[in-house]
Amino acid sequence: MMKDVSIGRYYQGDSVLHRMDPRAKIVLCLIYMIVVFMMTTAEGILATFLIVTFLCVLSAIPFSTILDSVRPIVFLLLFILVLNILTIRTGNPIVSWGFLKITDDGVLKAGLMALRLFLLIVSTSILLTLTTTPLLMADSLESLFGPLKKIKVPVHEMAMMMSIALRFVPTLVEETDKIMKAQASRGAEYDTGNILARARGYVSVLVPLFVSAFKRAEELAIAMDARCYRGGEGRTKLHVLHMRGKDYFWLILLASLAGGLICIDFYFKIS
Amino acid sequence: MSDKNTQIADINDKMDIRLKNVRFSYLHSETGSVAALSDVSLSVRQGTHAALLGRNGSGKSTMAKLINVLEMPQSGTVLVMGRDTANDKDFWYIRRSCGMVFQNPDNQIVGTTVEEDVAFGPENLGIPTEEIRRRVDEALKYVGLSDLARRQPSQLSGGQKQKLAIAGILAMQPQILLLDESTSMLDPISRDEFLAVVERLIKEKNMTVLHITHDMAEACLADKVFVLDHGKLAMSGTPGEIFSQVKKVRALGLDVPVFAELAYEVSQRLGIEMEQQTLFSRASALAGIRKMLDFVADGKISNPLPGYCPAGIAKESRKVIEVSHLNHVYDKKDKPSLSDISFSVNEGEIFAIIGHSGSGKTTLISHLNGLLRPKDGEIVIFPKENAAPLNTRKNADVRQIRRVVGLLFQYPEYQLFEETVERDIAFGPSKMGLDPDEIKRRVSEALTLVGLDDTFLKRSPFELSGGQKRRVAFAGVLAMDPDILVLDEPAAGLDPTGRREILSYAEKLKKRGKTIILVSHNMDEAARFADRILVLKKGEVRAIMTPQQLFSDLSVIRDLGLVEPETVACLTELKEDYPLINTCFFRVEDAAGELIRAAARGGDL
Repeated sequence: MMKDVSIGRYYQGDSVLHRMDPRAKIVLCLIYMIVVFMMTTAEGILATFLIVTFLCVLSAIPFSTILDSVRPIVFLLLFILVLNILTIRTGNPIVSWGFLKITDDGVLKAGLMALRLFLLIVSTSILLTLTTTPLLMADSLESLFGPLKKIKVPVHEMAMMMSIALRFVPTLVEETDKIMKAQASRGAEYDTGNILARARGYVSVLVPLFVSAFKRAEELAIAMDARCYRGGEGRTKLHVLHMRGKDYFWLILLASLAGGLICIDFYFKIS
Repeated sequence: MSDKNTQIADINDKMDIRLKNVRFSYLHSETGSVAALSDVSLSVRQGTHAALLGRNGSGKSTMAKLINVLEMPQSGTVLVMGRDTANDKDFWYIRRSCGMVFQNPDNQIVGTTVEEDVAFGPENLGIPTEEIRRRVDEALKYVGLSDLARRQPSQLSGGQKQKLAIAGILAMQPQILLLDESTSMLDPISRDEFLAVVERLIKEKNMTVLHITHDMAEACLADKVFVLDHGKLAMSGTPGEIFSQVKKVRALGLDVPVFAELAYEVSQRLGIEMEQQTLFSRASALAGIRKMLDFVADGKISNPLPGYCPAGIAKESRKVIEVSHLNHVYDKKDKPSLSDISFSVNEGEIFAIIGHSGSGKTTLISHLNGLLRPKDGEIVIFPKENAAPLNTRKNADVRQIRRVVGLLFQYPEYQLFEETVERDIAFGPSKMGLDPDEIKRRVSEALTLVGLDDTFLKRSPFELSGGQKRRVAFAGVLAMDPDILVLDEPAAGLDPTGRREILSYAEKLKKRGKTIILVSHNMDEAARFADRILVLKKGEVRAIMTPQQLFSDLSVIRDLGLVEPETVACLTELKEDYPLINTCFFRVEDAAGELIRAAARGGDL
């Protein structure tokens, strides 16, 4: 049902990665992004593949779910693959057909390129989106950007906005569904009729949706006021983020693995 | 002198809420300032339950906001727990001490999970983490939501959301609870659960409650009732004192509870002066009625007006909708939301569909005009005599079906979107490709039908009041001139006058030969208006009967998890003394007539 729309693709679980401090995960995610982009050799990328597989096992998320997160970019991957195969002309030709020339080097490089992008997506999903709730993500961003408060960046307000937005996504999705049904009952058309009729159909949904979103915002502001909200100053939290020994252990371990990957890549590059 | 001062201080201590000559007006862009409250003085004692009644726009919400320091009075003083809201240093103390539950459950939840939301208040107060944890757990346990602590708010029902709102307030440990129409969007069962929590808070935690409501039965739970009218305090007293003044209460656009109305009606018919102060509960009202009926039975009153017995037979006429073996599943993982639904609706009847939230009512009616297409089962519409039947399964028929079956969802005011009322109502008809003159005629006619005049045509729908918006939305569907109208809780959230008006349109339309399908969880209204009632429970049809059949056997009602209409409940209790009473009367006038008739005949025996 529309009600069960969830934001992000958080996969409920209790693995090492699920329990890790989200800030450590954000830092690791950045590290792995950089590492994946630095890889130039086939050996390096294969090693990264192994490490990412290890992360997948650590997350205890079914492989099919992880692969689902790659689905939106399958076409991009294929496009990159084909384009590279067709344009890289170094190495020994395998197929030569008119102006088409496919070389072994081309296939290898294209494959590596696609694999790199694949690893990038999988590692960010595993480290962040699949194992971290959006709320924790907002919280940890507030904490990581905390120092910016000193130069008057409204970090708390931005995090609050993010978490309220997350909170209202399902509500507004439900509302959109309701309005679309009501207008369809009055003869609005979204998928039939000419472009003008369709556009008008969507206006009849968007206007009430905005009106209601503003009304909700206003009422929510009053409700927050009534519950003594006064900005980030002096505010405490139910869930305080704590870097514990375990978090440091995994942060250092996984970061060193990333460092190892760079070494491997460098080694094969110079040899 | 000092003695007198301590005395005054003493009174202020015991009064948690005290308003003295309060005046408040809103600034309005066109008309200047509009008075929301003028010269209001009242007080609510600590640990008591006060109800605040009044029509929409009478200033009730404003008063709650003044108490919670969300607004400041222009003149007069508001004292909360003895402290003046005008005093800056008491600002946070007062606000922390007043918890407020609003009308719309969705618009007051801040947290992305249930426990995060409960924690929001204490977090704002800067309470240490361990203490927040303790308070959150305790508050959730108190309202019975502990199991749902990690759920997303969107997965809760309306009733659970309102309980969550209470938990969020409890975690701040307030002294005063302000309820601003908090029950108006709940179904009867959720409402009773919510009110039970409120009652416990008064008894166990000695909290002071100010409850703004449109429900007169809820007001009867209070120790004291205040009635606001156009920003002025029109009445105040115990529920008995208020509701014994039936005429005055009605003149203020409110209702009296059904049991009080029944007692009043009987006294009027018998010409007996009703005893004051007896009308605060069903038991006391029934005791009053018994006394009056004894006069009849003893022959002290001769020749009472005869009651009459309306025929409880459903009309026989041709079918207009035939639903057969309809099944519906939203998600393969879920239980079916509708299973094997079969029924037919006859031309010109009011056909009520009743059931709890989640029983599948909205899913069912969404099938009736092809918004949802049956994957399993069939829905056939018979538009006119001898016209070809339409099937919601056929793509080609759906457009026609939406013209024949008009559907008005719950809280339809959200569907308004045009710049003027005229254009909004014309949206449906213009989609039907009618010529401009015809559209104009229909818009005007629809508007008249819902009790608004042509001056509204050029106004923006967004500047109207809630009740007016509801009527314009109603008109938007009426202008399409459908033969069959499906109304999903058309009166939900309106004040008593608004309720009566909206429901009277249904009767008006019936007289014009329209077929009406009325979805409701208000048993009194369903019984009063419907020719037949379909009871839906967990996606299954459990009964299709006339109200007389359905409510004649209360064990069946209980089995279905429903409550009988208040008139039936009153008549059933009185039947013990007057066995000749037929309990199946749903209008107060009819019920009163029946009582007198039965009492008179009882006297003859």
